[in-house]
Order: sequence, then structure tokens, then C-alpha cells
Amino acid sequence: MTVATKHRLIATLLCYRGNVVQTRRFRPTNMVGNAFTAVDFFNSWAVDEICVLEISADDSYLDHFLEVVHGLSRRCFVPLSVGGKIRDLDKVREYTRAGADKVVLNTHAYQSDSLIEDVAGSFGKQCVVVSVDAAPNPDMPSGYEAVIARGREKTGEDVNTWVLRAAQRGAGEILLNNIEHDGDKRGYDLSLIKSVTAVSPIPVIAFGGVANWDHLVEGIEVGGADAVAAGNIFHYTEHSTKKAKEHMAAQGLWVRDSTFYKVDMPRRPTYQPY
Amino acid sequence: MQSVVVVDYGFANLRSVLNALECFEISVSVAEAGSELKGADKIVLPGVGSFDAGIRELRRRGHEEALAETVLDKKTPYLGICVGMQFLYEGSEEGVEPGLGWIKGTVTKFPEGPGKPKVPHIGWNAVRKSKESRLFNDLAEESDFYFVHSYSAPVGGTDDSWVAGICDYGYPFAAAVEKDHISATQFHPEKSQLAGMKLIQNFLEI
Repeated sequence: MTVATKHRLIATLLCYRGNVVQTRRFRPTNMVGNAFTAVDFFNSWAVDEICVLEISADDSYLDHFLEVVHGLSRRCFVPLSVGGKIRDLDKVREYTRAGADKVVLNTHAYQSDSLIEDVAGSFGKQCVVVSVDAAPNPDMPSGYEAVIARGREKTGEDVNTWVLRAAQRGAGEILLNNIEHDGDKRGYDLSLIKSVTAVSPIPVIAFGGVANWDHLVEGIEVGGADAVAAGNIFHYTEHSTKKAKEHMAAQGLWVRDSTFYKVDMPRRPTYQPY
Repeated sequence: MQSVVVVDYGFANLRSVLNALECFEISVSVAEAGSELKGADKIVLPGVGSFDAGIRELRRRGHEEALAETVLDKKTPYLGICVGMQFLYEGSEEGVEPGLGWIKGTVTKFPEGPGKPKVPHIGWNAVRKSKESRLFNDLAEESDFYFVHSYSAPVGGTDDSWVAGICDYGYPFAAAVEKDHISATQFHPEKSQLAGMKLIQNFLEI
């Protein structure tokens, strides 16, 4: 009898000042383009979830970002997770109203005593993804320290204890990233993922550093992650999510079958190049 | 152009269901009160949230009567989603309110504990066809759909003649039901990509 759900492949889009960008060590490196093209691209119908994060330094692009979320939700028929500058329930309401199924909390979840509980209480645990960023620190029992503010601030807390506290407060999932692996093409930090999945009572999504499809497989088989996410690698490669998914299935992973069904959707919005 | 009416009872976020329906060549509207269900060619009831709060609000807004009139008397095709499926049973362990009672049986909670699957059941899982149905027309014998729920109608515990698709999560439960023009899914077709859109198209073709 099944006791779990299928491993997910999550495509992550980072929005910086209104554009989708690639990042390395949490800093935008180059612009990839428009979020709508990217999502239409991912909709080679193989990706299981889409995660879009707003990473500009200030709030000036949030209105634009809300429009992006709304537009994405109209063309994306898989669960959509949205994060960026969530400080209170009002922002969560704005994002869910624009079509987010889940919200991704990070810095403010750490700084606030009640944000995770508040969101879980109003929207349910399944709506709460806590994004946890880690940096190596040999003084921590797990070897990793939780960091916030896109890696600029250290918390002084072991990443494992933060994950446990977040889960207790009502997080439904953990999105886990080592800031030094972000955009580094070395693959996931498997020792970090192993350490966190060993203690986490909730699903862990591995993120950061994927440069080939084997990295995705390792995240699940070696790291023990429930789901794997990647961003940079999916840009520029035609049918990239489909190929990634086929590779995961070929390696024997229990993933969603993405049979192609012909559905006539005459009004489905698609990207129109100008 | 057929008119599809989505039942609004104040709790469900209708956006994703509307997004999915709006891809098709149909006219889509939202009914905040029962009176607005009149004239619908098809009715969709999406649901999230708790059983009691939902069904009370359905009653308060006059949707229960309107559904009996349109779906039961006039035989307007109905698609319930998630809690919109659970409402069709006689009740749910989640609450004390009676359901619509169109299907015999009670919706039960997944048991929690060591060795048991995690609750809620969230994510992609396989659904196998258990009888010929219009909902699963042209879909594979087994397809994956997206689930988010803690309660379900176990196979064997409710009226199995309705069950059109079965999913295993600790034990087999009804992932979809269909009888004549009435159908419902425990999963979210609007979040299940092509398999889900195909199922929605099948419903629109009923």
C-alpha cells in the first residue's frame, strides 16, 4: 500500500526587478527574460510544480510581481508556490488571491514569532513552505548554520534546529538551499540535505546547484529529499523539464507519469512574442 | 455556447478552477447565491476548507435547494471537486452537519500514527479507473492527479457503485465518483496538468 506521494520536480523562477534572472550565490547574474515565456516553456507538461520567488532588494517591484503571479496562475495548471517579501497575512492574501496555492516564507518567518502559525492557521499547513538557507559552519552540530536576508545575515542557529522549530510552528514543507551551492553547478549539497532530511518531520525540497539531471536523482536517492527543485538549468534547454523528468523515471524514481493528452484549450493564454 | 456556473460559498479560492475553465470555449460565471444556478448547463462546485463551515454556508446561501432543483430534478451535469465531492455523502467525520446525502456513506479521516501515511495527503498520486465513466474517457487505466486532503471516502465504507477511480493511500479510497450526470473528484483536476484538463474537457462534453 502506498504510504507516500510521488517525488516532484519543481521549476523555480527568480524574479528580480520584473525580470526572470539566473543567480549565483544568491546574486543575480543575468536576465533570462519574461516569466510568462519561461512558464510556457516549462509547460512542456512535465514539471510537477512551479515556484516563483521575488528577490529584488526593495519593495518597488511588488505590484508588478503580483501581476506576474496572476498571469502565471492563468497558464500554469500545477500547484504554484509564491514567495518574496512576505511579512504578514495581508501579503499572503494578495498572493493567494492572485493564484498562489502555497506561499514561501524565509527571513520574516525567522524574525517573527508568529508568522508561520498565522499563515498555517488561516490557510492550512499545506500552504506554508519555509525556505531555509544554510551556510557551512563547523561550529554547528550539523555543520551548517541557518542564514537569512538572502545569506547576508547569520542567525547563530544550527540549520536542523531551525527546521524543527519551523515544522513545529506549522510549516508544511522545507525548501532547502546552501547559499554556496546556488548557481554553482556542483549539484546539491548532499551532506546538508541528508542532515536535514534525517531530522525533518515534513517534506524537504532540495534546491541549488543543479547542473545535470543526475544531480536531481542524487537529491532524492542520496539526500533523501522528497522533491527536487532547480532554476538555472531549465532556461535555454529545449524541453528541459521533460528531459529531466524522463531521466528521473529512467533511473527508477517514483515520479509522476506525464502522458501527453491532447486537450483543446482555445482560450488558454500563451506568450505572444511582440 | 454552454454556460458553466461555479458555486461560490465563500471559502474556496475559485481562481484556479476559473483559470482552468476559462481555457475552454464556454461561458463561465460564479453563483454567490442559489438563485444564480438557474439556467446553468453545467455546475461545478470546487471546495477547500472544512466540511461543516462549507455545508452551512451552502445552505445559508440557498445552494442546497438550488442544487436539488437543478442537479437532481433537471439533471444538470455536476462536477464536485475535493470538499465538493465530500458534500455529496451523508456526512463527514470532520463535522456534525449532514451532507447532501446523494451518496450513501460517511467520509472518514485518514488514520495517523507510526507506519501510517502522512496526513494530509498532499501531492501527486495514481488513480486507477474502476469502471467505465465519462469523466475518465480516453484517459489511461492509471493516471496521476494532484491531491490535498485529510478526509476521504474509503472503498468498502461507502456506496461503491459510484466509484469511478481509486487511489491508494494506506488503503484504497474513492478518488472519483460518477453516476449518470453527477460526478466528483477528490483530487484537483485544475492542478493536475494535462490529465486534469482532459478530465475537465470530458466533463464539459457530458
